[in-house]
Amino acid sequence: MRRMVIARLAWTVAILLGVSFVAFMLVRALPGDFVQTSAGAQNVASDVLEAARRELGLDRPLLEQYLIWLGNAVRGDFGYSFVTRQPVVGEILPRFVVTFQLTLIAGLIAMAMGVATGLASARLRGRADWIVRLYNGFILAVPNFVVATLIVLVVGLYFPQIAIFNYTPFFTDPLANIGGLLLPALSLALAVSVTISENTRAAVLEVSGQDFVMVARAKGLLPRTVLANYLMRNALTPIVTVTGLQVATLLGGSILVETIFAIPGMGQYLFDSITSRDYPVIQAIVLLASAVVVIVNMFVDIAYARIDARAQS
Amino acid sequence: MSDTVHNTAHNNDKEASRPEAVAPRRLPFTSGQVLLVLGLVMLALMAVVTIFAPLIAPYDPALTSASSLAAPSAEHLLGTDSIGRDVLSRLIVGGRTTLLITSVAVFLALAAGLVLGLLSGYVGGIVDDVIMRVLDVIFAFPVFLLAIAVVAGLGPSVPNLILTIAIVYTPAMARVVRGPVLSVKQWDHVEAARSIGMSELRIVLRHVLPMVVSPIVVATSLTLAQTIFTITALSFLGLGPPPPDPNWGGMLAEARQFMELAPLTVIAPAGAIVFATLTFIVLANGLREVLDVGSVR
Amino acid sequence: MSKADPILRVRDLTARIVTRKETFQAVRGISFDIGAGEAVGFVGESGCGKSVTARALMRLAPEGTAIALDGAVDFHGQDLLRLGEVAMRDIRGRRIAMVFQDPMTSLNPVMSIGAQIDDIVCRHMGLSRREARQRTVELLASVGIPDAAHRADDYPHQFSGGMRQRVLIAVAISCDPELLIADEPTTALDVTVQAQILRLLLRLRDERGMSLMLITHDFGVVAGMVERVNVMYGGEIVEAGPVEQVFHAPGHAYTRALLDAVPRLDSAGQKQ
Repeated sequence: MRRMVIARLAWTVAILLGVSFVAFMLVRALPGDFVQTSAGAQNVASDVLEAARRELGLDRPLLEQYLIWLGNAVRGDFGYSFVTRQPVVGEILPRFVVTFQLTLIAGLIAMAMGVATGLASARLRGRADWIVRLYNGFILAVPNFVVATLIVLVVGLYFPQIAIFNYTPFFTDPLANIGGLLLPALSLALAVSVTISENTRAAVLEVSGQDFVMVARAKGLLPRTVLANYLMRNALTPIVTVTGLQVATLLGGSILVETIFAIPGMGQYLFDSITSRDYPVIQAIVLLASAVVVIVNMFVDIAYARIDARAQS
Repeated sequence: MSDTVHNTAHNNDKEASRPEAVAPRRLPFTSGQVLLVLGLVMLALMAVVTIFAPLIAPYDPALTSASSLAAPSAEHLLGTDSIGRDVLSRLIVGGRTTLLITSVAVFLALAAGLVLGLLSGYVGGIVDDVIMRVLDVIFAFPVFLLAIAVVAGLGPSVPNLILTIAIVYTPAMARVVRGPVLSVKQWDHVEAARSIGMSELRIVLRHVLPMVVSPIVVATSLTLAQTIFTITALSFLGLGPPPPDPNWGGMLAEARQFMELAPLTVIAPAGAIVFATLTFIVLANGLREVLDVGSVR
Repeated sequence: MSKADPILRVRDLTARIVTRKETFQAVRGISFDIGAGEAVGFVGESGCGKSVTARALMRLAPEGTAIALDGAVDFHGQDLLRLGEVAMRDIRGRRIAMVFQDPMTSLNPVMSIGAQIDDIVCRHMGLSRREARQRTVELLASVGIPDAAHRADDYPHQFSGGMRQRVLIAVAISCDPELLIADEPTTALDVTVQAQILRLLLRLRDERGMSLMLITHDFGVVAGMVERVNVMYGGEIVEAGPVEQVFHAPGHAYTRALLDAVPRLDSAGQKQ
């Protein structure tokens, strides 16, 4: 077990290095360098550009640039935003918290919906199964930004009293804050809940066929005891794993949903940065979000291995 | 296993003369076949509209008119947008760009994934390690975030979008190919082919490739659905094909400003996106059942 | 109650297994009795309907299937086939209990051994958590689990196959059932462990005076264990009688074939 954890940790570090390298190269190795880009269409003398490049370290070999950038990034220094001239970290962190909150609420909604529908589909079988699978197939085809747009449309048309674009910071009014995040979180959660639902269904069906469930019924236990202690306890592992792996989808989707609902999170910031070609910010956000996904996946793997070790051998 | 009910069933089936063995009630077709046909019909509809778009579209999609945000009428079946362009025409022509990028990009990802997956799974050893580790790194990025970063860097143009989508979906494709290849290459007939001195390339083409076709077909269909999402989402964020060509994601984004005045300008592209995604999901589910492929991922 | 006065009287039992795809008849009108304190063997090849018979008595169908039952199962004057599901739940585990074939898959991997006995004891005997645990430990000790008080907190993967089957026997006898159905209880175990488990079942039957329905494909297993034996084939009982009689003078060709399949050395070992 300890060896597995160490191996997984080492692998995570390796992946993070790879991810950081790609994130670095994405911006540095692309046509048109920083200096050129910041100069824009202005006609700047080439020796001025050279001086600027030297100052930014852009004249050094690529690998050296990467190592310097990485060293700074590890210490939390992602450079300065082109637009605001402020350190990127200070700009990102408060927005990261907002995105984290949105993703968390969306994850909880997705899990509740997914487990409920998946369980209904697996236990009731027959028509309920059919309806849930049809619903899942359809919902999967509706992208989150379409859901979000349609929610905004419906609220605008029929419930004008609901103010959807008024983001309230958590510490101003926690209830209003969470309430305001519910609709965005719902649009983010729908597609993810389908994945969870399908996996719940598969997991519950698989566990249902196990001998120990038959033994539990032969004991004369109440159906709710069999469901809670025998079925769900065993089906929960794959369900939690799948939910963990959906963090990437949630983070990616938050960019769109935050933009639509005007939530000042990381996603909207990324969108603004793309519009203004603010490369250090783009780089930092891509790196940060990927790091979150990689690390969450690592925890999921380790947790899974621990439960698995107890269940098997 | 004990003599569970299934074993019992099997034993009794062998004694077919038993009169009590009730024949199962069978529908003339399976649900997989229904889904497959439905998916193919939807696909055909989309293909016809896309290919003959200029002929079908009632107006020039870029043609503006004085009547902006008009309600649906006989002239404009789906109304007009904020600068008086015909929504239906834009929808029909907009599908062209979206589907063109989608199909070419997925084809590239499929080709790259096939080569990498076959190489990785069949050759194995250090080649496998190197390829899979590099792909793992790309796989670690949230797909949509990576796509945004790449397009933002390269600049939004049709070739760049195709390249981006191909890059982000190649690792998944390669994994789908590699899995079955790993197991197929252990099989007896592959061993036998090798022992009679068949060349490695021929073994791969004649014996390994046919075995991995089913999971690849299903995975390709699912990837098409995901690509529709990614491409329309990028367009929605303004990273899609540059104007004046209409595209569904862009139309949705543009229409948001006035959507309460003309809901159809939002609902029409939303419906188109859902229809296209649904087509490939239905197709994937039908194929999965008909080809009897387990879960692909 | 004498052996002439059976606790279980089965008449014309038929069982049809209904799955989504097909229906077939697994048990075709069988009749038998089991007396109080009596051990009865059911012998036959896999698929002959003996396990379905056991499940029919418990009214348990595997997930995703249903068993359509006909005939009568008279248990102390109650027809089990006409009992509601709620009343049936009070009989399962409490008055009729069952030991299954594969101890490796019959225990819930994520619950401790003790918890899996506590729950049935709590359910049927109305004991508090603490009293239930006390009974659990006694039960584990009585089936031969050493250091039962500590091992109750262990998980199934920490037990060997033979030990797990002992645990499952403890589960089955936990509420002093009148009838214990053992469905191929030793098939998945090593030969040396098989004998221990059979001796344990026999001893528990004698100590507790419960009836035992022993299902097996192996004539060698029933030989020294039961008083009467029913030979099943194709969903029917083709031969029934005292074990000595069936063993020494088989009347049916199928019974002779089954007997021939028993290695002599093994059956001699089982008989002593």
